[in-house]
Amino acid sequence: MGLFSRSGDALVTVTPGVVRPRDTVTATVTTDRPVDKVRTARLDWGYTNFYRYHWAGRVDSAAAQGNDSILTAGQVGTNYGGDRDTDDWVSVVVEDLPIATGTFAGATSTFRIPSWAPASSSSIARWECRLTVDREGRDVETRGEFTVLIGTSDVEAYLEPLERVSGQAETGVDIALTRPVWQAGETITGHVTLTPTADLPDGDLAVSWQRERESHPLVRTPSPCGQLDGRIVGLGKQIPLRAGRPVEIPFEIDLPADAPPTAAAVHSSINWFVQARLMYRGFNSHLLERVRRPITVVNAP
Amino acid sequence: MTSAQRPLPGEPPPPQRGMTLEERGRDVSAAQADVEAQTSKWRQFLGYMSPRFVWSMADGYPVVIKQFLQFCLILIYPAWVFAVLVGGLCQLLFYVTVYPVLWVLFWPMRAYQKKHHPEEYAATRAKYAKNARN
Repeated sequence: MGLFSRSGDALVTVTPGVVRPRDTVTATVTTDRPVDKVRTARLDWGYTNFYRYHWAGRVDSAAAQGNDSILTAGQVGTNYGGDRDTDDWVSVVVEDLPIATGTFAGATSTFRIPSWAPASSSSIARWECRLTVDREGRDVETRGEFTVLIGTSDVEAYLEPLERVSGQAETGVDIALTRPVWQAGETITGHVTLTPTADLPDGDLAVSWQRERESHPLVRTPSPCGQLDGRIVGLGKQIPLRAGRPVEIPFEIDLPADAPPTAAAVHSSINWFVQARLMYRGFNSHLLERVRRPITVVNAP
Repeated sequence: MTSAQRPLPGEPPPPQRGMTLEERGRDVSAAQADVEAQTSKWRQFLGYMSPRFVWSMADGYPVVIKQFLQFCLILIYPAWVFAVLVGGLCQLLFYVTVYPVLWVLFWPMRAYQKKHHPEEYAATRAKYAKNARN
């Protein structure tokens, strides 16, 4: 009887399918027929964390330094393909399910989404409830997925300090935003203030959004930080830069509708910025000024 | 919000996150770290020619690929030693012939930077003295 008999399959249904931090979700485990010969059964609430890692040798080895030389730049087979996308499971809460007489027929479990939960997105996390039934025969493993949306009220909204990326600060470049939190698909509004410290050549000013995906795996070697710049929005050409005459220019930047929200997970993070760059006219020794201000991007109102 | 929020009372704490490449520091093999730690340029030069240093370039690769790379590194070892010797000779020639000319030629520029941008001048000197990654 036992050799060819098939045990039942399980299905995990998570309701509601779309939730916010501090909401409660319910997982209902059903089986088409009772699963027998069960030793233990457990539900694991957590998320699959997507990230990049460096698989090919040491990042700073002498060979890698050779790869980065100008002679081999862009050549396939040198520094190409050293990084790879992968994912790892991050467990938040594990619940052992009661088993009576070695048979599992179904269960129900609830889970409160933590306030620090990273939002669901293909770039960083996929929230799941995983069922693992350990039995004498083939184990039963299945999962139910749900989506975590992050809204404006779910994040700590505060203005983060400006970061200077490059330049000599001959002109003070400040980015002021209408608010620090923005929803995907919205238009970011604010203004850039230029404060020249001396009479300088005229400048060209432009702004854009910047998305930064950090890799910080627990075990594997991290990949270098990946940055993506949005469409460059020119704010003015030949802006006069004279000492004691600050210039204030408003701007608007469109955020992509599918922008992955700002998130911090175990193996990777996503950060967003508004950046401004000021380029001095002519051939001179004045360096390009670049600054950026962190913003928080959410995917729900 | 560039870091995880603090947990509220009654909810599980966020799992510990890992470290970025910058937070971990330089990712090199033990053999390369030993060579880079040498203060004497001559010993460093000899270290670059050692078989242990050349072999360590396969460190960190997955099994099978690593052994294959080590096999290839053994094959090219004579060429590696020749290349390091030629490179060292070229460097020596450069420092004897071209470098003094450039040093004299750019002396006014260095003096200007030292006088008008002392902080940047000191930062640049410190950067090249430490032999930083970038």
